[in-house]
Formats: sequence, C-alpha cells, structure tokens
Amino acid sequence: MSEMIQTVPIELTVNGRRRALTVAVNHTLLDVLRDDLELTGTKECCLVGECGACTVSLDGRIVDSCLVLAVEADQAQVTTVEGLAIDGHLSTLQQAFLDKGAVQCGFCIPGQLVAAHALLAENPHPTVPEIQEGLAGNLCRCACYRQITEAVLATAEGTVR
Amino acid sequence: MHTFAYARPATLAEAVALLEAHGPAARLLAGGTDLVIRLRDGTARPAVVIDVKQIAELRPAIHEDDGRLVISAGTVMSDVASDERVRRSFPALAEAAAVVGSVQIRNRATLVGNVCNASPAADTAPSLLVYDATVVAEGPGGTRRIPVDGFFVRSGVTTLARGELVTAIELPLPARKMGAVHMRRTRRRGHDLASVTLCCGVDDAAVTRLAYGSVGPRPVLEIDESGVLADPAASDEAKAPIFERMFADASPSPRSMRASPEYRLAMLRVLGARALRTAIDRLAQG
Amino acid sequence: MRTDRIGGSPNRVGGIGRVTGSQQYVADIRLQDTLEVKLVTLDCARARIISIDTSAAEEVPGVRLVMTAADLPQPVPRFGPQFSDRPIIAVGETKYHGEPVAAVAAETKDAAEEAARLVKVEYEELPAIFSVAAALDPAAVLVQDPALRPNDPLAGTNVLREHRFGWADVEATRADLVVENAYTFPIVTHFAIEPHAFMAAPDGDGIAVWSSIQHPNWLQKILSQILGLPLSKVRVYAPDPGGGFGGKQHTKLEPLVAFMALRTGRPVRLVLTLDETFQAVRRTSAEVRVRTGFMSDGTLAFQDVEANYLIGAYADIADRVVSKGSYPAAGPYRVPAVRIVSRSVLSHTTPATAFRGFGNPQVNWAVESNMDEGARALAIDRLEIRLRNLARKGEAFIPVDTPADGDWEQTVRRAAELIGWGTPLPPGRGRGLALGIKSGPTTGLSYATVRLLADGSVIVYAGTSDMGQGARTVFAQIAATELGAPLDWITVVMGDTAVVPYDQQTSASRSTVLMGNAILRACQSTQAQLRTMAARLHGIDEADIVVEGGVVRLPDRELPIIDVLEPGLGRLGGELVGNGEMRKDAEPDHPLSGSAAFFEFNCTAIEAEVDEDTGDVVLVRHVTVSDVGKALNPLQVTMQDEGAAIQGLGHTLMEHYIFDERGRIRNLGAIDYRIPTSMDLPLEMQSAIVENADGPGPYGSKGMSEGALLCVAPAVAAAVRDATGVAIRDLPLTPERVWRALRDRSTP
Repeated sequence: MSEMIQTVPIELTVNGRRRALTVAVNHTLLDVLRDDLELTGTKECCLVGECGACTVSLDGRIVDSCLVLAVEADQAQVTTVEGLAIDGHLSTLQQAFLDKGAVQCGFCIPGQLVAAHALLAENPHPTVPEIQEGLAGNLCRCACYRQITEAVLATAEGTVR
Repeated sequence: MHTFAYARPATLAEAVALLEAHGPAARLLAGGTDLVIRLRDGTARPAVVIDVKQIAELRPAIHEDDGRLVISAGTVMSDVASDERVRRSFPALAEAAAVVGSVQIRNRATLVGNVCNASPAADTAPSLLVYDATVVAEGPGGTRRIPVDGFFVRSGVTTLARGELVTAIELPLPARKMGAVHMRRTRRRGHDLASVTLCCGVDDAAVTRLAYGSVGPRPVLEIDESGVLADPAASDEAKAPIFERMFADASPSPRSMRASPEYRLAMLRVLGARALRTAIDRLAQG
Repeated sequence: MRTDRIGGSPNRVGGIGRVTGSQQYVADIRLQDTLEVKLVTLDCARARIISIDTSAAEEVPGVRLVMTAADLPQPVPRFGPQFSDRPIIAVGETKYHGEPVAAVAAETKDAAEEAARLVKVEYEELPAIFSVAAALDPAAVLVQDPALRPNDPLAGTNVLREHRFGWADVEATRADLVVENAYTFPIVTHFAIEPHAFMAAPDGDGIAVWSSIQHPNWLQKILSQILGLPLSKVRVYAPDPGGGFGGKQHTKLEPLVAFMALRTGRPVRLVLTLDETFQAVRRTSAEVRVRTGFMSDGTLAFQDVEANYLIGAYADIADRVVSKGSYPAAGPYRVPAVRIVSRSVLSHTTPATAFRGFGNPQVNWAVESNMDEGARALAIDRLEIRLRNLARKGEAFIPVDTPADGDWEQTVRRAAELIGWGTPLPPGRGRGLALGIKSGPTTGLSYATVRLLADGSVIVYAGTSDMGQGARTVFAQIAATELGAPLDWITVVMGDTAVVPYDQQTSASRSTVLMGNAILRACQSTQAQLRTMAARLHGIDEADIVVEGGVVRLPDRELPIIDVLEPGLGRLGGELVGNGEMRKDAEPDHPLSGSAAFFEFNCTAIEAEVDEDTGDVVLVRHVTVSDVGKALNPLQVTMQDEGAAIQGLGHTLMEHYIFDERGRIRNLGAIDYRIPTSMDLPLEMQSAIVENADGPGPYGSKGMSEGALLCVAPAVAAAVRDATGVAIRDLPLTPERVWRALRDRSTP
C-alpha cells in the first residue's frame, strides 16, 4: 500500500511574482522551484546543505533550498538566480562574473551569484577573507574561487563596466 | 523522502499537545538543517512533523530579562553570532555560532535546535556549558528549567520528557569578568564538522571552566577551582595534571571517520592549552 | 589587437546563459510525459543475487516499469571503451558498492523512490576485494570472470593488464646512490557539481539520448551497437556538462535508460544523486615503488618504477589510464636506463575512469618525491638537480616518441623565480618544487564545419564538449580571427550528433589542438572559396589574392570579406561552407599506439608552514607555471591552470574514500568527503605561462589544463619535508597524517 502524500496550498513571491500552488509536504523548496515552477536555474547537487548549488534568498537571507520544505516557504519572498537581472539587463555582479572569468562549467554559478548578491547587500565593501567566508558554502569544483572573489571585489569597488 | 503529517501550530499549547499525543512519532522542525537531511535519508521517519516557526513565543528574539540573556527557540545562528550583547557578554558562544556550517546553514539552523539534537560535536555546546546556560522547556507539566550541564545524555538524546519542547536558552549575565574562547579541530579550513570542539573560560576569581565535545557521547564540562590553570605564571608542568584530570573521561568513538581517537585526545590537549592561553589573555585585556 | 580574436580574453561564449540560470544542463531539460528513474542498489560491496521480487514495486501507483537483467536481451549486453566487460545492469552478481540491480521508471520521482524501496532483492554478501594487496593475493577471488578474457595469460588473476615500458637495462646500470621508496595515492572522486544525468526517448524509428557525456560520438557508437540501430538513428544530445574532469567521458547508464525508453515508449530520465556519482566514478588509486639511481653529481642513472593501480570492477578506460599515465613515469628527464612496470589491478570497487591527469599524478607524486630525496642525500639544490637532468627542447627523452617540445627550463626557472627559490625563509616555513609532464592525445580525429553566411556572420559546428574549459569561446575566437566576424556574430553549435560532424572525444586537453586545427582548416577552406570568388569578380589570378584576418587582399587594395561575399553570392544569396579535419593516426608499433601530439609541462612551487602540534599544513604561496605554446584566451588559460592547481589540493590535503571492513564506501556524499572550499586556498597564488608558439595547435598553441594539477602533491610534500624534516609518502596529507608522521619522527 503506498503512502498518501500530504499536500498543502501555499502562496509565495518568487522573483517578485506572486505564485499560488499546492505542494507536497515532503517536497523541498528546491523541488518546487525546479519542478513545479520550472525555474531550473537553481541546481541540485549534494542534498545535505554542503555544496550551495541550491542557494536561494528566502526573506532576504540566503539558504540551501534543499533543506527547506516547500511548506515552510509559505508567505515568503524568494529570489533565485533568474531574479537577479533587472529588466533583462545583467546585474553588475553578473557582468563582473563574466568579465573576471569566474564562470567555467557554470553549474555552481547560480548559487554563487545569489550568495554574493546577499553578501554585498549586507556588506557593500567586503574584504577578501569576508568574501571567502561569505561564499564558503558554495563549492566550485572547477575551483574558480579566486576569480569569483575578484568579481565580487570589482562589483564592490564599482570597477565593472 | 517519506511523507508525514505536517502541523504548524500557532500556539505553544498546541505544540505541547501534539508532542504529548504523538511522543516519539513526532519531530520538531525549526531550522530543518538537521531534520530535513534525516527525513531524506530515512533516519527519521516521523508520522508528524511539527513546524514551530509560527508560534509567537518562539519567534526569533534575543532579549534581557532579570539578569539573563534569553535566546528564543527560533533564533538562528547568524543572529546569535552577530548580536552585540552575545558578542559582548558571551563572545565564545558568538564564535561558536559563527562556525556552524556555512552562511546558508547559519541562516536557518537555530541555537536551540543545535542543543536539542544533542550531537556530541555540537559546536555551541561547550560555550553554553562554560557560560552556565539553562534550557527552558515547556511541557504538559508546565515550565521547567534544566541546566545545560545535565541536559545532554548521548547523541540525539536529551533529558526532555515526552511532550516537552525547548522554548529558549537562558544565559546568566556574567557577574564576574571572564575571558573565554571557542576552538575546534576540523579537516579543512572551510566549514566542517568538528573532530574536537572546545571552550575555555577563565574568570577573575581564577576559576577555569573548560568544556569539550566530540570526544565522547556528550559534551563535558570540567572546572578547575585551584587557580593553577588560570595563573599565567604557573608552569606547564603544574598545569599538566589538572588538564589530565579534566580529560580523563574523554572517550572518542573508534568508529569515527573524522579522526582517530588518538588524534582527538592529542588535539584535546593541544586545543585545551591554546584555549587556556587565549582565555587568560582575553581576561587580561578585559 | 581586438579582444575578440585569439590572444584576447573576450567574455565566455555561453557565459550569459550560465549567469542568468537559463542554460539548460541535462537535468533542466523537460520533455513531455517523461518517466523518472530511480536505481535499486545493494548496501554491500559484492553480492550474489539470489532473486529479485519486483511485485510490490510494480504495484505502486505511477510505476510503469521495473527493469532487471531478466528484462534485457540475453545474454545481457556488455560494453566498455576498452573491453566490453560491463553489463547494462548487474547480472547475477553486484561487483561494487552501488552497482545497479534494478531500475524503476515512474510518473513521478516520489513514486519511483517509493517503488525502488519496495524492490526486494534476496542476496548473499560475498567477500570483496578493495586493496591492491588483497587483489594480488594468489588465493584471492577473481573479480572478473576469466571467460571474458579468453587467451589471456593473466585471466586467472586480478591483474587486468601488465604494461612494461623502458629502455636499456636498469639492473646493469651503476649508480652512486639509489633512493628507493614506496608511495600511495588515494581513491578520490570527481565530485563535479552537476551529478551525471541521462535521458532517452524514442525518436521515430530510432532513439534520442541526452547525456552529460564528454564524448557524444563515442556514446553514439556504443548505443548503436547495443541497440542494433544504425548510427543515423541514434541521436545523442550532449548539453554542456556541469563539470566533467574525465568522469563523464564514457558511457555509464545511458544504455539502461535507452532500453527503458524503448520498452515504455516514453522519454525516461535518470539523474544521479551526488552519492551515486561517488559510486559511479573515481580516479585510479595507486601504490608506486620507485628506485631512482643517481650519480654523485646528481645526474640520473636510472628510474625503476613499479606501479600497481587499483581499478574498479569494470575496466572503463582505466587500463588506458594506467598505460598512458605510467608510460612517461621517468619524468621529463634525460635518463639512461628506465624500467616501468605498471598494472591495472581489478577490485570490487567503483569503476575507475579518466580523471584530470590521467594516471600521471599518481606516478609523478612518487617520482618527484624521490628526486627531492635524492637531492637531499647528495646535498645538491633541489631545483638544480632537476635542471641538470631536464630534457632540452628537441631531445628524444623517451626514445621512439615525441621529443621534448618546449623550452622546459624556461618554465622551471620562472616558477623558481616567482617562489623566490633560494631566498631566505622565515623560520617554520619550507619550500618545495616539482615538475612533470603529461602526454597529450596519441591519436585523434576531429571534424569541423564552418558556414559563412550571407551577411558575414558565422556558424561553427564542433563536436567538442565544453564542460567549463571554454572550448566554445576559443573556437569562436579562431573563426573571428580568420573570418573577421565579431564574436557576437559567431554561433558555435555543439553537442548534437545529428547536426555536428564527428569528433572522437574531448579529453587529454586535446580540443584546442585537434578541433582547433579542424576549425582553422575549415576557415581556410572558406578563405579559399573567397579567393576564387574574388578572382572571378575582379578578373584576377587566384594566386595573387590572400584572404586573412577578415580581409581580402587584392594586388592593389584590401576589401573586407563582406565586400567580396555579397557580390559574390549575388541575388540568389547563399553561403560558403568550409570543412576541416584534423587527424592523428595510430602508430601500430608504438607502445601506446601513438606518440604524444604535445606534452603538457608544468612546474609547481610551494611555500608552506606546518603547525607541528596539530599537523595543519598552510600553503603560504602556491606558484604554478605551464608551457602552453600560445594562450588563445589568456584569461581562460589562467582559470584552467588555477582551477587545476586548487583541484590538486584536494587529493593532496583532504580527499580520500574511506572503506569499511566489507568494502563499502563510508564517506559517500558531501559531509564526510571534503573538497577545497573558498577558505582552503593558498594564502597567495600565482600562475604564469610560457609562450613560445611551439605547439601543434592553431597559432602555435598546445593543449593545457591538466599540467597544473600534476605537480601539486609532490611540491606540497616537499615543502612539508623542508619545513619539518619529515618525508610523508602517502596521500592525502591530512592534519592527522602529518601529525602522526611528526610524532613518529621524534619517537626513536
């Protein structure tokens, strides 16, 4: 006999847009973003809150969406990588990532960008150690760490074109 | 992930009633950084998950009350680490909270959750022991205050009774000056679980409090009232037997993947000595 | 010089998709009516399968298929890039922790997961082999059925292959000093942030397959053979992988997914969890014994290397890793006598496959550590001893192979200069240096097509996989340079076997050379057509016309390409199509079936500090210098080198599989398998390149991206030795290992 999946209606704002949907209680915010809302920019990797590929901003703070049940995001404001560009224009940080060579395979990049955006929002002029610590929850196997740090610094210093 | 019934009580009374009714078949959900992993890997298969984040009394808050700093159950590690009052009066706790996982984890994981999970390696446990914290629990029988030293039984097990949940951690505002520090051993400089986690506090009455975790089934608090450890002029030879007494009951698990028992016991001594020196320095600096 | 062209560092082509999240990796692609797949595996390293009961699983609502070996053509097809030894799904026995026994396809992930849990497998756990010693024990159980290797004298052993390379007679060669040591290199895994993902769907009378594969054409060939379909009916889509590093080179679960799609008549998708990727791919580990003979002046007399590489239960490409990786084990040195014996040793573990460095890091770790010890014993400077022995450009340091193809001394001196070799060090610090080579491809074949459209814009078709190294960008830069189109007027099409011409593979840092040249030749073909066009339009002899850099040069003037193209195409419009091919044929008599197209040469120098109480190694400075011929995109070259260097810190300082006594991997997943984070970087890192335009690729380029990983471990260990006096010969240099070695040094 298979288990009955419990479902709950939730409402949340994703990238500025109000969404109403019914979610299974055992689905995570990551599942719902990718599968129900078809926002596949946020990625799935370790599923234990170590790699940060699933990083989104939840009510103004970065979290690993693989560890947030979708129901917990009821009434929340969520920002994903798809919400970083403004009116179709890359944010300064996104442009800096390109300019500084911070993007190789790109799979960790959505999480890095959301985390870096949040870092700069809270600390507009971070030092290198502060950037490294602020982004320590975002693993990059291509190991673009130095270039990512440079991109964040350039954005903070206002030297991005 | 197996499914479960999801409850989101609006009041403490409701939460207590649910806990009492379901007992071990219920799990509390605060930050979720531990529970969601267990739900997914099947090591937790509750019939009911009780999300406590809507309960007014548990909303994130740090406030002073009658000579104590009270940290509510919903308060996340990021806020504990950055709060001015915590940093001023309980700096080792702020240090510990700042190294739990990554920013993403610290924005969700709660101090109370960390304590209730009762992992022997919980980074906040040693400083809570040193600072003589109290766990405030609410249950069918009312409110109970449980000293942290005595709260942990073993991994995953505390002295909470059926139907009880923790509503806050209280820290007595220090009556004396204390210098304290949190230190730990990890496998890399990036975020990691600790293979030894330790807090040492030295107060101006020359009492040394040293608490450590991840080298036995539960975090341990040891106290030296002789004044020898706290004395910057005392020799290493004089301090050694006191340290040995403090570490005598450390029994790290031979099954651990993070570090061998031998290494852990050696690092306990290395960190203990380093933490003591730092604690003495911090006391002197005021 | 305009930045779009070679030598410039324009922004990554395909970068915008990556920073906006719009790029589709395999797991992001949604087809209608897709079934989700969940694998059923056993919690043991090796087991005899007694029975599989799928009845409860089949009853879960939404389940459409539960596939086991019994549902496949009999005998169950086997495949593999070197030997067809791996069955599509476990047959009668699981041979490694995580080998799939069954697979469920269901309407939802939840249903597939639930059903997978309900598949009842009755099995008998069997003793597993997961070390070289256990595998080589004469009484050991055989990992592989000898019947799979008829006529193979080694079939009754767990040695899949033994390779012998070398020249002269090591035994008869005199040396003033012999340094002999045994080294180990751990089992590590690729840990690409994108777990492997596969999808298949019936496509008319054929099949379409999506995979995170690095070698789409190779996959196409294997699928066509297994499914009994012509190549033209097997379409492989290969979206950019989210990191490959070799772990996505070869076919893994695509055949299983393909059969499931054909059985159900629907698209079927399998995305591995990170834990499952640890069970699917890893690097070969190795035990390496090296005897190095030195003369008293530091010159090498001989290198005698015995390397036992532990490969997995199925060969994948691991035996090639062993042969190709160990072949240059004597190093980029002048060595009078060399003996290399290397073995691929089978075990009941995750199939080892290619991983950046391809067998070289394992032996380089040992050989360079021995060089360090020899220098100390002879009281010769550790930089000096290497320079004394280093092969000079043009020297046939490996007889019957490509001679040294770079001014390697220049690279070494640059690294030494950057680290400040020879300058005083603060107390408690040590310095180490190591160098190494890795052979580029020994055979290869790449085709490219370039279409110059009527407005001067360009489409390039290239079958290379861009998994982050930036191939797409470099290819666009070549077209920009040759045809004058700005970069944003160039589209590069990759990853579709129905549209893009054949490329053998993306590996061995080959694509700049092989595909780059193919594209260059395709552009040159287009240029030739433009010459013909210009000759016709202007009544000039073709021989008097030159087309280069986007310009058509006539005897009396210069025209931009569009001014010839437009009138040349006329009112009917049209386009020019150029094809190019670069082929490196096999050399049947060569021990590796081909000499190296080029060598990647790197020198790494490290300054480290060791906390002797805890064993922590802090890398104060990390210098890496590579000989690259020509940096077609300098920024991307830096990114590759620094990325490789940091990745190399993984196996050097923290990565290793931990097995239990039954051969199960204990540290599956990200919590207990540690890779470098942003906080684990050297305090200071510097990368540099040497460019002498002496490579076989376009504009004198060579392949690069593996070299900087090659020398990390020996350089770090040498620095640790320099700081503490202790030589450690096993990796990783975790704090505990270093602490133990320091403690044991002081114990008499």
